[in-house]
Amino acid sequence: MATATNTIVDDATLATRVAAYLEGQVGHRVRVGTLTRFAVGFSWLTYAVPVGGLEGRDDEQELILRLGPDYGLFAPYSAMPQVLAMRSLEDSTVPVPRAYWASDDASIFGAPFLFCEKVSGAAVVPWVAAGTPGLEESYRRKLAEQFIDALGALHRVPWRERPIAEIAGGITVDNAARLNVEFWERQIERWAMRPYPMVEWAVRWLKDHCPVAPRVAIVHGDYRTGNFLETDGRITAILDWELVHLGDPHEDLGWASLPMYMGGSKLISRLAEPDWFYERYGQQAGFTVSMESVRYYRAFSLLKLAATHMAAARCFEEGRFNDMRMPAMGSQIATCLRQLEKTIEAT
Amino acid sequence: MNNSFARLIDGMCATLRGEVLTRLDDEFARGQVFGVINLLNTFKVRADWSTGFLAQQVQAQCEAFDGIVRRIEGEKLPAAPPLLQRAPPQPVSAATLEAMRDDGNRAIGAMLGWLAAERAQLSETLAADIERELRRCMRSEIDIEMKNSPRPLFAEMSSGSEG
Repeated sequence: MATATNTIVDDATLATRVAAYLEGQVGHRVRVGTLTRFAVGFSWLTYAVPVGGLEGRDDEQELILRLGPDYGLFAPYSAMPQVLAMRSLEDSTVPVPRAYWASDDASIFGAPFLFCEKVSGAAVVPWVAAGTPGLEESYRRKLAEQFIDALGALHRVPWRERPIAEIAGGITVDNAARLNVEFWERQIERWAMRPYPMVEWAVRWLKDHCPVAPRVAIVHGDYRTGNFLETDGRITAILDWELVHLGDPHEDLGWASLPMYMGGSKLISRLAEPDWFYERYGQQAGFTVSMESVRYYRAFSLLKLAATHMAAARCFEEGRFNDMRMPAMGSQIATCLRQLEKTIEAT
Repeated sequence: MNNSFARLIDGMCATLRGEVLTRLDDEFARGQVFGVINLLNTFKVRADWSTGFLAQQVQAQCEAFDGIVRRIEGEKLPAAPPLLQRAPPQPVSAATLEAMRDDGNRAIGAMLGWLAAERAQLSETLAADIERELRRCMRSEIDIEMKNSPRPLFAEMSSGSEG
């Protein structure tokens, strides 16, 4: 078993370091209360940080601190892609928490980190127990409209003029799919603990059927129910930008429409009837959705999901993380691969 | 152990749900307990008591029976109860089977690579027959894996409460 390299300090010490860091940033004393760690997410650690005196002597507010620990699922982490994405969306209609301070310097908190605005709202979970009734109709429809429109708005952002252009590399509409498949193929080589011929077969198929993207866009990478907050039917923030990258916008459609996120319904992400989803999205994004590309990226997304489960299994096996949800994720690789094969067969 | 493996797992899950979760307020800790329940459910469908110590017990019986048979051979004695005559068991370890499966999967992967590279040299029928066999085998492995996996408790693990 590999040696655990947990460099994250306990919550009380972290609070002290947070106070010192924030004071260094704002140039005056601040008060940091007790940190609360959320159960959400399987990768970055998320804390609510109550801070007093940040903008003046009497103000009290809560910040979100996200840490990407060196023992985490996709470690080693960088806060930069998500910070660049969030800053690129500040004046767009995509609801995104405001990113404040971030750094990949692990000497500060033991891991790359990001402070952002705490947005109010609750997450709608994609996974529900059998027999759980669907969302109330008008509430569902209202959320679905915003869910679709925010995605369309994300994919319309002129990213070449925004901070995220920094991570563009040589991506084009012609090589977007290929680069993406090759990236995840490399991750699988890192994480898989045993040979999976079904993966080899699927990777070969994906490389042989790469679509040309309608445009290169900012791709969220994990766009689904569970990764946004809502209050009274209003989406207040799209969260979890850690897999953000530039690519074919169809990728987010393929991911959002995975059967794992339908919660036993026939609705995309428990929210939207598929035909309506694609039609409305196409109007918002400004191009006609290619169903062939959606199916391609659904297959790709299943490969990606299987890869994340492989990462979870390895992470736990090597003793980097004792999060008991990791091996549970690892037990779902076969389910992803079965769906992957069915999806490819149906194309 | 005198209790069945499956009953013990059921008991552990019931205790965690009924006695631990009901007294636990922290959302993250509750999510972890659901993670443990999820794993216990996996053990229930995939695991059983180790065969190693049972094999040792049977081996000890075999040696004792053999020794008695040899010792009383040729002796004039009242009729003795029959002793089982059997070879000691040869259990195959899970690690051995796992290595065999992985070797097989590497061979399937190599065959898939060969088929992709040399397809033009093969008749369509032959290529299709080989691919069908390989895929049937890959699918079987996955189907067997899925049949031996419980429903995941993702809703409970991410929210810390019953779905």
